[in-house]
Amino acid sequence: MRRERPGCTIPAKRGSVGLPAPMEASNRADDFIPAGLASLGIEADEVDLAVIGAAHSLFWPAILELLELEIDVPPEPDLDLSRAPAR
Amino acid sequence: MSALDLTLRGQAAAIAAGDTDPAELLDEALERIAARNPALNAVVETFPERSREMLDEAPRGPLFGVPVVIKDEWPLPWRAQRFGAAEMPTPSAPGESGPYRALRDAGATIVGVGNMHELGASSTGNASVYGPAHNPWDTDRCPGGSSSGPAAAVGGRLVAGAVGADGIGSIRFPATYCGLTGLKPTFGRSAMAGHHMAEVSTTIVSGPLCADAADCRLLAGALFGADLAAGEARGLRIGVVRDTVSEDVAPGVREACEAALAALAEGTGGEVKEIELADIEAATLATVLIANTENLGALSPSRLNDLDPELTPIARGFLKYRMLLPAAAAVKAQQVRTLMRRRLAAAFEEVDAIAWPTVPAPAPPLEAPLVELPSGTLTADQANVRGAGLANLTGIPAISLPVGLSDGLPVALQLQGAWGRDELLLDAAEALERANGRRWVEALPPLARPEPTEA
Repeated sequence: MRRERPGCTIPAKRGSVGLPAPMEASNRADDFIPAGLASLGIEADEVDLAVIGAAHSLFWPAILELLELEIDVPPEPDLDLSRAPAR
Repeated sequence: MSALDLTLRGQAAAIAAGDTDPAELLDEALERIAARNPALNAVVETFPERSREMLDEAPRGPLFGVPVVIKDEWPLPWRAQRFGAAEMPTPSAPGESGPYRALRDAGATIVGVGNMHELGASSTGNASVYGPAHNPWDTDRCPGGSSSGPAAAVGGRLVAGAVGADGIGSIRFPATYCGLTGLKPTFGRSAMAGHHMAEVSTTIVSGPLCADAADCRLLAGALFGADLAAGEARGLRIGVVRDTVSEDVAPGVREACEAALAALAEGTGGEVKEIELADIEAATLATVLIANTENLGALSPSRLNDLDPELTPIARGFLKYRMLLPAAAAVKAQQVRTLMRRRLAAAFEEVDAIAWPTVPAPAPPLEAPLVELPSGTLTADQANVRGAGLANLTGIPAISLPVGLSDGLPVALQLQGAWGRDELLLDAAEALERANGRRWVEALPPLARPEPTEA
Protein backbone atom coordinates (compact mmCIF):
# COMPACT_ATOMS: atom_id res chain seq x y z
CA MET A 1 0.00 0.00 0.00
CA ARG A 2 2.89 2.32 0.72
CA ARG A 3 4.29 3.94 -2.40
CA GLU A 4 7.93 4.84 -2.70
CA ARG A 5 8.19 8.57 -2.20
CA PRO A 6 10.54 10.50 -4.46
CA GLY A 7 13.20 12.60 -2.85
CA CYS A 8 12.58 16.20 -2.03
CA THR A 9 11.79 18.06 -5.24
CA ILE A 10 12.22 21.50 -3.74
CA PRO A 11 15.65 22.76 -4.67
CA ALA A 12 17.65 23.95 -1.71
CA LYS A 13 18.07 27.30 -3.37
CA ARG A 14 15.92 28.35 -6.25
CA GLY A 15 16.68 31.25 -8.47
CA SER A 16 14.34 34.13 -9.05
CA VAL A 17 11.49 33.41 -11.45
CA GLY A 18 11.34 37.05 -12.39
CA LEU A 19 8.51 38.14 -10.15
CA PRO A 20 8.71 41.28 -8.05
CA ALA A 21 10.53 40.48 -4.82
CA PRO A 22 7.43 40.49 -2.60
CA MET A 23 5.85 37.88 -4.88
CA GLU A 24 8.77 35.46 -4.85
CA ALA A 25 7.63 32.36 -3.04
CA SER A 26 9.52 31.06 -0.06
CA ASN A 27 11.68 28.22 -1.23
CA ARG A 28 12.97 26.68 1.95
CA ALA A 29 11.21 24.07 4.03
CA ASP A 30 12.57 25.85 7.10
CA ASP A 31 10.44 28.83 6.19
CA PHE A 32 7.26 26.80 6.31
CA ILE A 33 6.43 27.49 9.93
CA PRO A 34 7.13 31.21 10.17
CA ALA A 35 5.82 31.82 6.65
CA GLY A 36 2.72 29.73 7.27
CA LEU A 37 1.95 31.48 10.51
CA ALA A 38 2.67 34.89 9.02
CA SER A 39 0.41 34.22 6.05
CA LEU A 40 -2.40 33.44 8.49
CA GLY A 41 -1.62 36.52 10.53
CA ILE A 42 -0.66 34.46 13.55
CA GLU A 43 2.00 35.98 15.75
CA ALA A 44 4.71 33.73 17.11
CA ASP A 45 7.61 34.52 19.40
CA GLU A 46 10.80 32.50 19.74
CA VAL A 47 9.28 30.18 22.30
CA ASP A 48 6.27 29.53 20.09
CA LEU A 49 8.54 28.82 17.14
CA ALA A 50 10.66 26.43 19.20
CA VAL A 51 7.60 24.48 20.36
CA ILE A 52 6.06 24.43 16.91
CA GLY A 53 9.38 23.41 15.40
CA ALA A 54 9.60 20.48 17.78
CA ALA A 55 6.03 19.44 16.99
CA HIS A 56 6.68 19.81 13.30
CA SER A 57 9.80 17.65 13.38
CA LEU A 58 7.78 14.99 15.19
CA PHE A 59 4.66 15.01 13.05
CA TRP A 60 5.72 16.14 9.61
CA PRO A 61 7.61 13.04 8.45
CA ALA A 62 4.67 10.89 9.51
CA ILE A 63 2.24 13.26 7.80
CA LEU A 64 4.23 13.01 4.58
CA GLU A 65 4.09 9.21 4.83
CA LEU A 66 0.37 9.37 5.44
CA LEU A 67 -0.12 11.52 2.37
CA GLU A 68 1.66 8.89 0.28
CA LEU A 69 -0.58 6.06 1.44
CA GLU A 70 -2.68 4.68 -1.38
CA ILE A 71 -6.06 3.96 0.13
CA ASP A 72 -8.76 2.92 -2.26
CA VAL A 73 -11.60 3.43 0.18
CA PRO A 74 -13.43 6.74 0.57
CA PRO A 75 -14.41 8.04 3.99
CA GLU A 76 -17.69 6.48 5.17
CA PRO A 77 -20.55 8.70 3.99
CA ASP A 78 -22.78 8.17 7.04
CA LEU A 79 -20.16 7.47 9.66
CA ASP A 80 -21.65 5.83 12.74
CA LEU A 81 -18.84 5.14 15.18
CA SER A 82 -21.13 3.26 17.53
CA ARG A 83 -21.44 0.42 15.04
CA ALA A 84 -19.35 -1.70 12.73
CA PRO A 85 -19.05 -0.28 9.23
CA ALA A 86 -21.66 -1.31 6.71
CA ARG A 87 -20.40 -4.09 4.48
CA MET B 1 -12.02 -0.08 58.14
CA SER B 2 -13.77 3.01 56.83
CA ALA B 3 -16.65 2.43 54.44
CA LEU B 4 -14.68 4.71 52.16
CA ASP B 5 -12.23 1.86 51.65
CA LEU B 6 -14.95 -0.42 50.30
CA THR B 7 -15.39 -0.80 46.58
CA LEU B 8 -17.84 1.50 44.83
CA ARG B 9 -20.45 -1.26 44.78
CA GLY B 10 -19.59 -2.13 48.38
CA GLN B 11 -20.29 1.44 49.44
CA ALA B 12 -23.58 1.44 47.52
CA ALA B 13 -24.59 -1.88 49.10
CA ALA B 14 -23.62 -0.76 52.61
CA ILE B 15 -25.74 2.37 52.25
CA ALA B 16 -28.68 0.45 50.77
CA ALA B 17 -28.51 -2.04 53.63
CA GLY B 18 -28.49 0.75 56.18
CA ASP B 19 -25.02 -0.17 57.42
CA THR B 20 -23.48 3.13 56.32
CA ASP B 21 -24.87 6.63 56.68
CA PRO B 22 -24.30 8.43 53.35
CA ALA B 23 -23.94 11.81 55.07
CA GLU B 24 -21.16 10.39 57.25
CA LEU B 25 -19.58 8.81 54.18
CA LEU B 26 -19.58 12.17 52.43
CA ASP B 27 -17.92 13.80 55.44
CA GLU B 28 -15.33 11.02 55.52
CA ALA B 29 -14.61 11.57 51.83
CA LEU B 30 -14.11 15.29 52.39
CA GLU B 31 -11.81 14.56 55.33
CA ARG B 32 -9.89 12.01 53.27
CA ILE B 33 -9.46 14.55 50.48
CA ALA B 34 -8.22 17.14 52.97
CA ALA B 35 -5.73 14.66 54.38
CA ARG B 36 -4.35 13.00 51.24
CA ASN B 37 -4.91 15.50 48.47
CA PRO B 38 -1.98 17.78 49.34
CA ALA B 39 0.33 14.96 48.24
CA LEU B 40 -1.68 14.18 45.11
CA ASN B 41 -3.30 17.40 43.84
CA ALA B 42 -5.92 15.07 42.41
CA VAL B 43 -8.96 17.10 43.44
CA VAL B 44 -8.87 20.76 42.44
CA GLU B 45 -12.11 21.85 44.05
CA THR B 46 -14.59 20.61 46.61
CA PHE B 47 -17.98 22.20 47.35
CA PRO B 48 -19.33 20.60 50.52
CA GLU B 49 -22.61 22.49 50.51
CA ARG B 50 -23.35 21.55 46.90
CA SER B 51 -22.42 17.95 47.64
CA ARG B 52 -24.74 17.88 50.65
CA GLU B 53 -27.54 19.35 48.56
CA MET B 54 -26.98 16.66 45.95
CA LEU B 55 -27.16 14.02 48.65
CA ASP B 56 -30.30 15.53 50.19
CA GLU B 57 -32.05 15.44 46.83
CA ALA B 58 -30.60 12.14 45.62
CA PRO B 59 -32.92 9.45 44.31
CA ARG B 60 -32.48 5.89 45.60
CA GLY B 61 -30.56 4.89 42.50
CA PRO B 62 -27.77 2.33 42.10
CA LEU B 63 -25.16 4.81 43.38
CA PHE B 64 -27.25 6.38 46.11
CA GLY B 65 -25.03 8.28 48.53
CA VAL B 66 -21.74 7.18 46.97
CA PRO B 67 -19.13 9.97 46.66
CA VAL B 68 -17.47 10.30 43.27
CA VAL B 69 -15.09 12.70 41.54
CA ILE B 70 -15.67 14.15 38.08
CA LYS B 71 -12.99 15.40 35.70
CA ASP B 72 -12.53 19.13 35.07
CA GLU B 73 -13.81 18.47 31.55
CA TRP B 74 -17.49 18.56 32.42
CA PRO B 75 -19.60 21.52 33.51
CA LEU B 76 -21.60 21.29 36.72
CA PRO B 77 -24.63 23.44 37.50
CA TRP B 78 -22.50 25.46 39.91
CA ARG B 79 -19.15 25.36 38.11
CA ALA B 80 -17.79 25.77 34.58
CA GLN B 81 -15.11 23.33 33.50
CA ARG B 82 -11.63 24.76 32.95
CA PHE B 83 -10.20 21.83 30.97
CA GLY B 84 -7.07 22.05 33.10
CA ALA B 85 -6.15 25.29 31.37
CA ALA B 86 -6.02 29.03 31.83
CA GLU B 87 -8.05 29.34 28.65
CA MET B 88 -10.17 26.93 26.62
CA PRO B 89 -10.56 26.89 22.84
CA THR B 90 -14.30 27.43 23.34
CA PRO B 91 -16.10 29.32 26.10
CA SER B 92 -17.33 27.33 29.07
CA ALA B 93 -20.17 27.95 31.48
CA PRO B 94 -21.85 26.17 34.38
CA GLY B 95 -24.49 23.70 33.32
CA GLU B 96 -25.97 20.23 33.61
CA SER B 97 -23.60 18.07 31.61
CA GLY B 98 -24.58 14.56 30.61
CA PRO B 99 -22.26 12.90 33.13
CA TYR B 100 -23.54 15.22 35.89
CA ARG B 101 -27.13 14.23 35.12
CA ALA B 102 -26.19 10.57 34.91
CA LEU B 103 -24.50 10.68 38.32
CA ARG B 104 -27.32 12.71 39.86
CA ASP B 105 -29.99 10.38 38.49
CA ALA B 106 -28.08 7.36 39.82
CA GLY B 107 -28.07 8.97 43.28
CA ALA B 108 -24.32 9.62 43.44
CA THR B 109 -22.77 12.57 45.26
CA ILE B 110 -20.17 14.58 43.38
CA VAL B 111 -17.62 15.37 46.05
CA GLY B 112 -15.00 17.12 43.97
CA VAL B 113 -13.57 18.01 40.57
CA GLY B 114 -10.58 16.06 39.34
CA ASN B 115 -7.46 17.68 37.93
CA MET B 116 -6.52 17.05 34.30
CA HIS B 117 -3.70 17.68 31.87
CA GLU B 118 -3.89 21.11 30.28
CA LEU B 119 -6.37 21.06 27.37
CA GLY B 120 -6.45 17.27 27.57
CA ALA B 121 -3.31 17.22 25.49
CA SER B 122 -1.01 14.65 27.05
CA SER B 123 -0.81 11.13 28.43
CA THR B 124 1.30 12.28 31.39
CA GLY B 125 -0.74 14.72 33.51
CA ASN B 126 2.37 16.75 34.28
CA ALA B 127 0.93 20.13 33.27
CA SER B 128 -2.23 21.82 34.46
CA VAL B 129 -3.40 25.27 35.42
CA TYR B 130 -3.80 23.80 38.90
CA GLY B 131 -0.31 22.30 38.92
CA PRO B 132 0.26 18.65 38.08
CA ALA B 133 -1.49 15.79 39.82
CA HIS B 134 0.81 13.21 41.37
CA ASN B 135 0.86 9.45 41.10
CA PRO B 136 -0.23 7.79 44.37
CA TRP B 137 2.27 4.97 43.80
CA ASP B 138 5.15 7.43 43.66
CA THR B 139 4.31 11.10 43.99
CA ASP B 140 7.35 12.10 41.94
CA ARG B 141 5.88 10.30 38.94
CA CYS B 142 3.23 11.10 36.39
CA PRO B 143 -0.33 10.08 37.24
CA GLY B 144 -1.17 9.76 33.55
CA GLY B 145 -3.36 12.02 31.49
CA SER B 146 -5.40 13.56 30.60
CA SER B 147 -7.75 12.25 33.34
CA SER B 148 -4.95 12.66 35.88
CA GLY B 149 -7.01 13.81 38.84
CA PRO B 150 -9.79 11.23 38.61
CA ALA B 151 -7.18 8.47 38.46
CA ALA B 152 -5.02 9.83 41.27
CA ALA B 153 -8.15 10.32 43.39
CA VAL B 154 -9.28 6.73 42.98
CA GLY B 155 -5.73 5.37 43.14
CA GLY B 156 -5.21 7.21 46.43
CA ARG B 157 -8.63 5.97 47.59
CA LEU B 158 -10.01 9.45 48.11
CA VAL B 159 -13.08 8.02 46.41
CA ALA B 160 -13.90 4.64 44.87
CA GLY B 161 -14.96 5.90 41.48
CA ALA B 162 -14.44 8.81 39.14
CA VAL B 163 -15.62 9.95 35.72
CA GLY B 164 -13.01 10.77 33.12
CA ALA B 165 -12.96 11.33 29.39
CA ASP B 166 -11.01 9.52 26.68
CA GLY B 167 -10.21 11.19 23.35
CA ILE B 168 -6.91 9.42 22.70
CA GLY B 169 -6.41 7.13 25.67
CA SER B 170 -7.12 9.72 28.35
CA ILE B 171 -8.89 7.23 30.63
CA ARG B 172 -6.66 4.26 29.87
CA PHE B 173 -3.29 6.00 30.37
CA PRO B 174 -3.99 7.28 33.90
CA ALA B 175 -5.79 4.06 34.80
CA THR B 176 -2.57 2.25 33.93
CA TYR B 177 -0.21 4.57 35.76
CA CYS B 178 -2.39 4.61 38.91
CA GLY B 179 -3.11 0.85 38.96
CA LEU B 180 -6.82 1.11 38.14
CA THR B 181 -9.35 -0.29 35.73
CA GLY B 182 -10.54 2.19 33.14
CA LEU B 183 -13.17 1.73 30.45
CA LYS B 184 -13.24 3.67 27.19
CA PRO B 185 -16.81 2.92 26.07
CA THR B 186 -18.03 2.36 22.54
CA PHE B 187 -18.44 5.78 20.94
CA GLY B 188 -21.87 7.21 21.64
CA ARG B 189 -22.86 4.87 24.48
CA SER B 190 -21.87 7.08 27.42
CA ALA B 191 -23.15 10.52 28.36
CA MET B 192 -21.44 13.36 26.49
CA ALA B 193 -23.95 16.22 26.55
CA GLY B 194 -22.53 19.50 27.75
CA HIS B 195 -18.96 18.70 26.75
CA HIS B 196 -17.51 21.70 24.94
CA MET B 197 -16.71 19.45 21.95
CA ALA B 198 -19.78 17.22 22.10
CA GLU B 199 -21.10 18.55 18.81
CA VAL B 200 -17.89 18.12 16.85
CA SER B 201 -15.82 15.36 18.42
CA THR B 202 -15.81 11.88 16.95
CA THR B 203 -13.19 10.56 19.35
CA ILE B 204 -14.09 11.65 22.90
CA VAL B 205 -16.22 9.58 25.28
CA SER B 206 -16.90 9.74 29.01
CA GLY B 207 -16.04 6.70 31.05
CA PRO B 208 -15.30 5.29 34.50
CA LEU B 209 -12.07 4.88 36.44
CA CYS B 210 -12.38 2.48 39.38
CA ALA B 211 -10.37 -0.14 41.21
CA ASP B 212 -11.88 -3.06 39.35
CA ALA B 213 -14.15 -4.08 36.51
CA ALA B 214 -17.29 -4.64 38.60
CA ASP B 215 -17.09 -1.05 39.85
CA CYS B 216 -16.50 0.16 36.29
CA ARG B 217 -19.59 -1.80 35.26
CA LEU B 218 -21.65 -0.02 37.91
CA LEU B 219 -20.37 3.46 37.12
CA ALA B 220 -20.49 2.89 33.36
CA GLY B 221 -24.07 1.73 33.76
CA ALA B 222 -24.91 5.14 35.20
CA LEU B 223 -23.10 6.89 32.34
CA PHE B 224 -24.80 4.67 29.75
CA GLY B 225 -28.21 4.94 31.40
CA ALA B 226 -28.48 1.15 31.22
CA ASP B 227 -27.71 -1.92 33.25
CA LEU B 228 -24.61 -3.61 31.89
CA ALA B 229 -25.36 -7.25 32.51
CA ALA B 230 -22.52 -9.38 33.83
CA GLY B 231 -21.78 -12.64 32.09
CA GLU B 232 -19.09 -15.27 31.75
CA ALA B 233 -16.39 -14.73 29.16
CA ARG B 234 -16.19 -18.41 28.28
CA GLY B 235 -13.96 -19.62 25.48
CA LEU B 236 -12.56 -16.15 24.91
CA ARG B 237 -10.73 -15.84 21.61
CA ILE B 238 -7.97 -13.34 22.26
CA GLY B 239 -6.12 -11.81 19.34
CA VAL B 240 -2.62 -10.41 19.63
CA VAL B 241 -0.93 -8.30 16.99
CA ARG B 242 2.83 -8.66 16.82
CA ASP B 243 3.88 -5.11 16.05
CA THR B 244 5.49 -2.10 17.66
CA VAL B 245 2.68 -1.70 20.16
CA SER B 246 3.13 -5.18 21.56
CA GLU B 247 6.85 -5.64 20.97
CA ASP B 248 8.58 -2.32 21.70
CA VAL B 249 7.81 -2.45 25.42
CA ALA B 250 9.82 -2.48 28.62
CA PRO B 251 10.71 -5.98 29.85
CA GLY B 252 8.57 -5.71 32.99
CA VAL B 253 5.54 -4.75 30.93
CA ARG B 254 6.07 -7.55 28.44
CA GLU B 255 6.43 -10.15 31.18
CA ALA B 256 3.32 -9.04 33.08
CA CYS B 257 1.17 -8.79 29.94
CA GLU B 258 2.23 -12.19 28.64
CA ALA B 259 1.46 -13.75 32.01
CA ALA B 260 -1.92 -12.02 32.04
CA LEU B 261 -2.75 -13.24 28.56
CA ALA B 262 -1.93 -16.81 29.53
CA ALA B 263 -4.01 -16.49 32.70
CA LEU B 264 -6.94 -14.98 30.78
CA ALA B 265 -6.90 -17.76 28.20
CA GLU B 266 -6.72 -20.42 30.89
CA GLY B 267 -9.30 -18.72 33.09
CA THR B 268 -11.85 -18.51 30.31
CA GLY B 269 -11.01 -21.77 28.60
CA GLY B 270 -10.10 -19.67 25.63
CA GLU B 271 -7.17 -19.22 23.33
CA VAL B 272 -4.60 -16.65 22.25
CA LYS B 273 -4.00 -16.34 18.52
CA GLU B 274 -1.93 -13.99 16.43
CA ILE B 275 -3.80 -11.79 14.00
CA GLU B 276 -2.75 -9.26 11.38
CA LEU B 277 -3.68 -5.61 11.68
CA ALA B 278 -1.49 -3.50 9.44
CA ASP B 279 -0.93 0.27 9.44
CA ILE B 280 -1.34 0.88 13.17
CA GLU B 281 1.13 3.77 12.90
CA ALA B 282 -1.02 5.44 10.25
CA ALA B 283 -4.07 4.83 12.39
CA THR B 284 -2.39 6.51 15.34
CA LEU B 285 -1.47 9.56 13.31
CA ALA B 286 -4.97 9.66 11.82
CA THR B 287 -6.43 9.74 15.33
CA VAL B 288 -4.14 12.58 16.35
CA LEU B 289 -4.98 14.54 13.20
CA ILE B 290 -8.72 14.08 13.58
CA ALA B 291 -8.70 14.91 17.28
CA ASN B 292 -6.64 18.03 16.66
CA THR B 293 -8.60 19.38 13.73
CA GLU B 294 -12.22 18.69 14.74
CA ASN B 295 -12.51 21.88 16.78
CA LEU B 296 -10.44 24.13 14.52
CA GLY B 297 -13.63 26.04 13.79
CA ALA B 298 -13.30 27.50 17.26
CA LEU B 299 -9.86 28.93 16.55
CA SER B 300 -8.97 32.00 14.54
CA PRO B 301 -5.77 33.96 14.04
CA SER B 302 -7.09 36.76 16.21
CA ARG B 303 -7.96 34.30 19.00
CA LEU B 304 -4.50 32.76 18.73
CA ASN B 305 -2.92 36.21 18.95
CA ASP B 306 -4.74 36.89 22.17
CA LEU B 307 -4.17 33.69 24.15
CA ASP B 308 -4.07 33.82 27.91
CA PRO B 309 -0.44 34.28 28.96
CA GLU B 310 -0.95 31.67 31.66
CA LEU B 311 -1.23 28.91 29.05
CA THR B 312 1.97 26.90 28.97
CA PRO B 313 4.28 27.50 26.00
CA ILE B 314 3.59 23.95 24.82
CA ALA B 315 -0.16 24.48 24.79
CA ARG B 316 0.22 27.81 23.04
CA GLY B 317 2.57 26.43 20.41
CA PHE B 318 0.45 23.37 19.71
CA LEU B 319 -2.70 25.46 19.33
CA LYS B 320 -0.92 27.56 16.70
CA TYR B 321 0.61 24.54 14.97
CA ARG B 322 -2.85 23.07 14.44
CA MET B 323 -3.53 25.85 11.94
CA LEU B 324 -0.68 24.56 9.75
CA LEU B 325 -1.89 20.96 9.49
CA PRO B 326 -2.63 20.16 5.84
CA ALA B 327 -6.25 19.62 4.91
CA ALA B 328 -5.18 16.73 2.67
CA ALA B 329 -3.86 14.90 5.72
CA ALA B 330 -7.14 15.38 7.55
CA VAL B 331 -9.01 13.88 4.60
CA LYS B 332 -6.53 11.01 4.39
CA ALA B 333 -7.04 10.42 8.10
CA GLN B 334 -10.73 9.81 7.45
CA GLN B 335 -9.84 7.28 4.78
CA VAL B 336 -7.53 5.53 7.23
CA ARG B 337 -10.42 5.50 9.70
CA THR B 338 -12.65 3.70 7.21
CA LEU B 339 -9.90 1.26 6.36
CA MET B 340 -9.19 0.42 10.00
CA ARG B 341 -12.88 0.05 10.83
CA ARG B 342 -13.22 -2.47 8.02
CA ARG B 343 -10.13 -4.34 9.13
CA LEU B 344 -11.32 -4.43 12.72
CA ALA B 345 -14.75 -5.66 11.68
CA ALA B 346 -13.03 -8.54 9.90
CA ALA B 347 -10.74 -9.20 12.86
CA PHE B 348 -13.66 -9.40 15.27
CA GLU B 349 -15.10 -12.23 13.23
CA GLU B 350 -12.01 -14.22 14.21
CA VAL B 351 -11.49 -13.05 17.80
CA ASP B 352 -13.57 -11.64 20.65
CA ALA B 353 -10.93 -9.26 21.95
CA ILE B 354 -7.59 -7.86 20.88
CA ALA B 355 -5.00 -7.52 23.64
CA TRP B 356 -2.05 -5.15 23.86
CA PRO B 357 -0.03 -3.59 26.64
CA THR B 358 -1.91 -0.36 27.40
CA VAL B 359 1.33 1.59 27.56
CA PRO B 360 4.86 0.31 26.95
CA ALA B 361 6.45 1.43 30.22
CA PRO B 362 5.34 2.36 33.74
CA ALA B 363 4.80 5.94 34.91
CA PRO B 364 7.80 8.18 34.16
CA PRO B 365 9.02 11.00 36.41
CA LEU B 366 6.92 14.17 36.40
CA GLU B 367 10.00 16.28 35.75
CA ALA B 368 11.14 14.32 32.70
CA PRO B 369 8.39 12.15 31.21
CA LEU B 370 10.61 9.92 29.10
CA VAL B 371 10.46 6.16 28.78
CA GLU B 372 13.19 3.66 27.96
CA LEU B 373 12.13 1.12 25.37
CA PRO B 374 14.04 -1.46 23.34
CA SER B 375 13.98 1.02 20.44
CA GLY B 376 15.47 3.79 22.57
CA THR B 377 14.33 6.73 24.66
CA LEU B 378 11.01 8.27 23.72
CA THR B 379 8.75 10.85 25.27
CA ALA B 380 5.95 9.12 27.15
CA ASP B 381 3.42 10.72 24.78
CA GLN B 382 5.15 9.36 21.69
CA ALA B 383 5.23 5.89 23.18
CA ASN B 384 1.80 5.83 24.79
CA VAL B 385 -0.26 7.08 21.90
CA ARG B 386 0.69 4.07 19.79
CA GLY B 387 -1.63 1.68 21.57
CA ALA B 388 -4.50 4.00 22.34
CA GLY B 389 -5.61 5.81 19.21
CA LEU B 390 -7.13 2.89 17.35
CA ALA B 391 -10.13 2.60 19.71
CA ASN B 392 -10.89 6.32 19.45
CA LEU B 393 -10.39 6.35 15.70
CA THR B 394 -12.75 3.48 15.06
CA GLY B 395 -15.26 3.81 17.92
CA ILE B 396 -14.63 0.42 19.50
CA PRO B 397 -14.58 -0.05 23.30
CA ALA B 398 -11.38 -0.70 25.22
CA ILE B 399 -10.58 -1.51 28.82
CA SER B 400 -7.30 -1.21 30.67
CA LEU B 401 -6.75 -3.31 33.73
CA PRO B 402 -3.81 -3.74 36.10
CA VAL B 403 -1.82 -6.92 35.63
CA GLY B 404 1.28 -6.42 37.73
CA LEU B 405 3.93 -4.14 39.15
CA SER B 406 7.28 -3.30 37.61
CA ASP B 407 9.76 -1.71 40.00
CA GLY B 408 6.83 -0.95 42.27
CA LEU B 409 4.77 0.76 39.57
CA PRO B 410 1.57 -0.55 37.98
CA VAL B 411 1.53 -2.24 34.58
CA ALA B 412 -1.64 -2.81 32.54
CA LEU B 413 -3.12 -4.85 29.75
CA GLN B 414 -5.61 -3.35 27.31
CA LEU B 415 -8.44 -5.34 25.78
CA GLN B 416 -10.34 -3.98 22.80
CA GLY B 417 -13.63 -5.41 21.60
CA ALA B 418 -16.13 -5.02 18.82
CA TRP B 419 -18.61 -2.13 18.78
CA GLY B 420 -21.14 -2.41 21.59
CA ARG B 421 -19.34 -5.25 23.33
CA ASP B 422 -18.34 -3.18 26.36
CA GLU B 423 -20.00 -5.78 28.57
CA LEU B 424 -17.82 -8.54 27.15
CA LEU B 425 -14.68 -6.53 27.95
CA LEU B 426 -15.91 -6.08 31.52
CA ASP B 427 -16.64 -9.83 31.71
CA ALA B 428 -13.16 -10.61 30.41
CA ALA B 429 -11.56 -8.20 32.87
CA GLU B 430 -13.42 -9.84 35.74
CA ALA B 431 -12.31 -13.25 34.50
CA LEU B 432 -8.70 -12.09 34.53
CA GLU B 433 -9.12 -10.61 38.02
CA ARG B 434 -10.35 -14.00 39.23
CA ALA B 435 -7.52 -15.79 37.46
CA ASN B 436 -5.05 -13.49 39.27
CA GLY B 437 -6.77 -13.95 42.61
CA ARG B 438 -7.70 -10.22 42.40
CA ARG B 439 -4.13 -9.53 43.40
CA TRP B 440 -3.57 -6.50 41.21
CA VAL B 441 -6.95 -4.82 41.56
CA GLU B 442 -6.63 -4.98 45.33
CA ALA B 443 -3.04 -3.74 45.45
CA LEU B 444 -2.81 -0.41 47.23
CA PRO B 445 -0.23 2.34 46.80
CA PRO B 446 1.73 3.22 49.93
CA LEU B 447 -0.27 6.32 50.82
CA ALA B 448 -3.57 4.42 50.68
CA ARG B 449 -2.50 1.50 52.84
CA PRO B 450 -4.11 1.29 56.28
CA GLU B 451 -2.00 2.58 59.15
CA PRO B 452 -0.55 -0.34 61.11
CA THR B 453 -2.36 -0.69 64.42
CA GLU B 454 -0.50 -1.26 67.63
CA ALA B 455 -0.85 -4.73 69.10
